[in-house]
Amino acid sequence: MPLVRTLLLLASILASGTAAFANEGGVSEKAESVFHVGPLPLTNSMLTSWGVTLILVFFIRWLVGKPQIVPARGQAVVEGLINGLRDLFEPIVGKKAMPAAFPLLICFFVFILLHNWSGLFPFVGTVGWKEMNQATGEQVGFIPWIRPLTSDLNGTIALALTSFVGWFVIVLRYAGPKALLFDLFGNKADKKEIPAALYWSLSVVFLGVGLIEVMSILIRPITLSVRLFGNIFGGENLLHNTSFIPIFYFLEILVGLVQSFVFTLLTSVYIGLICNHGDDHGEESEHSNPIEVKEAVPGAPSH
Amino acid sequence: MTGNIAQGIAIFASALGVGLIGYHAVEAVGRNPGASGKILVQSILALALAEGLGVLSLVLLH
Repeated sequence: MPLVRTLLLLASILASGTAAFANEGGVSEKAESVFHVGPLPLTNSMLTSWGVTLILVFFIRWLVGKPQIVPARGQAVVEGLINGLRDLFEPIVGKKAMPAAFPLLICFFVFILLHNWSGLFPFVGTVGWKEMNQATGEQVGFIPWIRPLTSDLNGTIALALTSFVGWFVIVLRYAGPKALLFDLFGNKADKKEIPAALYWSLSVVFLGVGLIEVMSILIRPITLSVRLFGNIFGGENLLHNTSFIPIFYFLEILVGLVQSFVFTLLTSVYIGLICNHGDDHGEESEHSNPIEVKEAVPGAPSH
Repeated sequence: MTGNIAQGIAIFASALGVGLIGYHAVEAVGRNPGASGKILVQSILALALAEGLGVLSLVLLH
């Protein structure tokens, strides 16, 4: 009980920080540049992403320390996270592509999770520079210093493109271009079961289906990036514009978790769609059905 | 008050989809609590796809 009380108190203090400067206009859609380095603008979301990434890297390094066979407490936390995620993703991605896909997936999960939650700290979007109109001296705008990476469309586009390129490389490596092309355009009908004329006319249909499939693959980076951006940006606006913070704050904690999970899960499903058929799939479905196996065993000697 | 009917329809339909998925996921867990892990993954995927369209319409039709 004291733990729950402490957590609630902490959360309400954090939540009250976000309410303190809630301004009327909401969060602007594009990330504002805070500094200029030569011709390059440094936007607030870039600065926040670098900060959070540095904290993430050093925190995990500090937690693990020097890896030991008998893990210390910090190492056990990280190993627990990795084991849980591996059990979740292995049936989706398939055993074959797992070694290459898993580092990508766990990076996406932890990175997006912490970047989503970085928008929930106090002072995010409320501390910054006032934009003054030089002639009249009135305030015309506001440039916050801190803005989470995932509430900037550029950041989520970068993440989605990384996911797309990773998908392409892993699929080419572990399924091969032939399997990829067959999966997209190939005729999946059984040649022995249907007449030849029907078979060849079906090939044309499968070609058309392949074209639609290619469109749906090319649209994936757009949907991935816009989904993540829309959710987190919408959440930021919600927190800034309503005075109903405590409930929406917990909602946003949940949304941050779910959206990072969704992004990772969709990436793994895209990989698994191409890489996860063939030999290891049947083996796996046998393992995942212990009841059937048990029933089969007593019957086996009588045959 | 200003608005966009396409956005309204998209949000309505995606909310309906999300609600249906949640309803059936809860029902499925009620019938077979042992499969809750698998159902969670499937339902979150379907939720993401249904809700993605709504968010897409909000951002792209803006």
